[in-house]
Amino acid sequence: MRQQKKVLACVDQSDYASHVADYAAWAATRLSVPVELLHVIDRHSEISSGIDRSGSIGVDAQENLLERLSQEEGERSKVVREQGRVFLNKLRARCESHTGLQTDTRQRYGQLLSTLKEQESSVAMYVLGRRGESASHTRRDLGRHVEAICRQIRRPIMTVTDDFKAPKSVLVAFDGGRMTRRGIELLASNPNMRDLPIHVVMSGKRSADSGRHLEWAKHRLRTADFTVDASFIPGDPEQVVTRAIAEREADLLIMGAYSHSPWRSLLLGSRTNDLLRASQVPTITLHL
Amino acid sequence: MDTIRQEWFSNTRNDILAGLVVALALIPEAIAFSIIAGVDPKVGLYASFSIAVIIAFTGGRPGMISAATGAMALLMVTLVKEHGLQYLFAATILTGVLQIIAGWIRLGELMRFVSRSVVTGFVNALAILIFMAQLPELTNVTWEVYAMTAAGLGIIYGLPRLTTAIPSPLITIVVLTLVAIALDLDIRTVGDMGELPDSLPQFFVPDVPMTWDTFAIIFPYSATLMVVGLLESLMTATIVDDLTDTLSNKNRECVGQGVANVATGFIGGMAGCAMIGQSVINVKSGGRGRLSTLVAGLLLLIMVVFAGDWVSQIPMAALVAVMIMVSIGTFNWESIRSLRTHPKSSSVVMLSTVAVTVATHDLAQGVLTGVLLSGFFFAQKVGRILSVTSAACDEGRARRYTVYGQVFFASADRFSRVFDYQEVIDKVYIDVSRAHFWDITAVSALDKIVIKFRREGTDVEVIGMNEASATLVDKFAIHDKDGADDMLLNH
Repeated sequence: MRQQKKVLACVDQSDYASHVADYAAWAATRLSVPVELLHVIDRHSEISSGIDRSGSIGVDAQENLLERLSQEEGERSKVVREQGRVFLNKLRARCESHTGLQTDTRQRYGQLLSTLKEQESSVAMYVLGRRGESASHTRRDLGRHVEAICRQIRRPIMTVTDDFKAPKSVLVAFDGGRMTRRGIELLASNPNMRDLPIHVVMSGKRSADSGRHLEWAKHRLRTADFTVDASFIPGDPEQVVTRAIAEREADLLIMGAYSHSPWRSLLLGSRTNDLLRASQVPTITLHL
Repeated sequence: MDTIRQEWFSNTRNDILAGLVVALALIPEAIAFSIIAGVDPKVGLYASFSIAVIIAFTGGRPGMISAATGAMALLMVTLVKEHGLQYLFAATILTGVLQIIAGWIRLGELMRFVSRSVVTGFVNALAILIFMAQLPELTNVTWEVYAMTAAGLGIIYGLPRLTTAIPSPLITIVVLTLVAIALDLDIRTVGDMGELPDSLPQFFVPDVPMTWDTFAIIFPYSATLMVVGLLESLMTATIVDDLTDTLSNKNRECVGQGVANVATGFIGGMAGCAMIGQSVINVKSGGRGRLSTLVAGLLLLIMVVFAGDWVSQIPMAALVAVMIMVSIGTFNWESIRSLRTHPKSSSVVMLSTVAVTVATHDLAQGVLTGVLLSGFFFAQKVGRILSVTSAACDEGRARRYTVYGQVFFASADRFSRVFDYQEVIDKVYIDVSRAHFWDITAVSALDKIVIKFRREGTDVEVIGMNEASATLVDKFAIHDKDGADDMLLNH
């Protein structure tokens, strides 16, 4: 039996969670798979609380301490778990009313990245907020987890910004490379997306191959009954794509992600990060 | 980067305060252990400083406290007495080198052969040894010493009922010192026990002849120190793992202990290791990260160097009270209650570990005894997982024996006795496909059985020998035979 894939929506207890859930519901309907809402509880056992500075140890000191610490942590976990459950249930109701599909919820202990990585094989698409819980009190314009997750996970990842708006047209930042070609193939093979006009945009320096690549993309989508326009706009990809999104009023961006090594990104900056920062629309990054 | 931040700075405030509590608790211990080893308090204090500071960086278990310890001090007594201090420093360096090698060859993994009962025995023996080491301070002394010690214990255990904001051992020491000075009591003080540090430690090479003879003298001591140091460190690491619900890197800890001991030898300190009692105090006081260990080491040295005159006035009775607390806190009292409920073999292992250690004052020998005994008991128990069923077949002309379970040196004898050689029969089938033959003893037992049957004129056919003897190969693959698991559960 083939495992039923799902859209995995990663939520935390912030306002962004409801947008994540909305977009996950949208993606799930388009991909015809169910949604699972995942809340990862990061336990910080390296931080202590409940301090006794008497410096004295009595009979069975170690056993008593172990009991006290595990009891305290147990109680704290219960509170967090209960809060999480209530808030996940709210999101589930919201999701189910959008999709009409059964929605699963799950809370896991652990690190976000490794928890997501574990589930990779059963996920059709991840959905996460570009910023999260700590957004209001940090100045970062890209959540600290986003880059690590997009680099490590070999599945389409939709990162969403504020406010849900059902996408009406899609812009593909196409570079003719392996990843975006896969992206075009995936798009073309999904008939549920046919009602959305697709804009394929290539940028950068014009080379001999670029015309051919663009033509291939256009042809591939046309034969799958999509409404397509394809264009080559020379210039810096970040600016070109941002402008193209605005001009064409696209509200979903699909692009390849992190094709270069982390070292190169450290020196030259990452184009993917730049685009994620600049684009105001939800983005599906492909790092397959 | 993330790990550095997490291990060092995620719990800063509590780490610093816990480090302070530990530093205060370490001073009396370091002095007391120097006295056990028969060296100046300076040696133990320098050692505690350098080990704590270095292990903060090199250790594999954040939040664990390492310093000069009683377990190690007890092993150095004869070396110091017969050869002098410089040989102790050389032995300390060699201990460190051996520990680094042990870490590299992943000796830490051997810890899995040390059973729960042996660990309990180790801890109890350690507590008893620490307590016994205080007895010389309590024999042939005036009543004032007893009164002071009793008052000290009263403060240590009474004060936390009133407030847990200040370390009660510190108050004990301050109060008893003031009382002794005020009443001008004629009792022994720390100053009487030897030299205290008056400056920061300095680097020097131990003044021993670099010859084979020197090596031959210090090697046996270093080898024992290495074993005991790693044992206590790894046990303590497991305890801290449990308390904080986090994992540690045991092999990194071995290397870290080694580096700390090498450096300690070069600044005139004695070998040390992790301390169970102090690590519990650290975790209890809120210490979780590496910072707590670093702060403990640094503050210890600062306090001792700058308050040296005061430290020398501390009456020994106050130290004895603190050490009695440490020994009571280290002892596993639960293990006495559970003597009645635990299996006899576990109790025997635990008690033998304690008995051998207390008799020899050497934790390494105690642990070795415990490990050997637990291996012995285990072999005996597993040897019982063996059953043979038989049924006549072929209209009484043949008999089929089916062997289930573990055949090895401890069960081979019983295995060969279950066959009925007197039976008048043409043929015997021995089906061993559901048994495990673990060693050569098992194979030769089967050979003998076959020969015995042949002498009676009975043909023998052994079935499934290949499956049964797959376990013979030392590096056997994990193979699951039908029913193997069921059998383990049924017995």
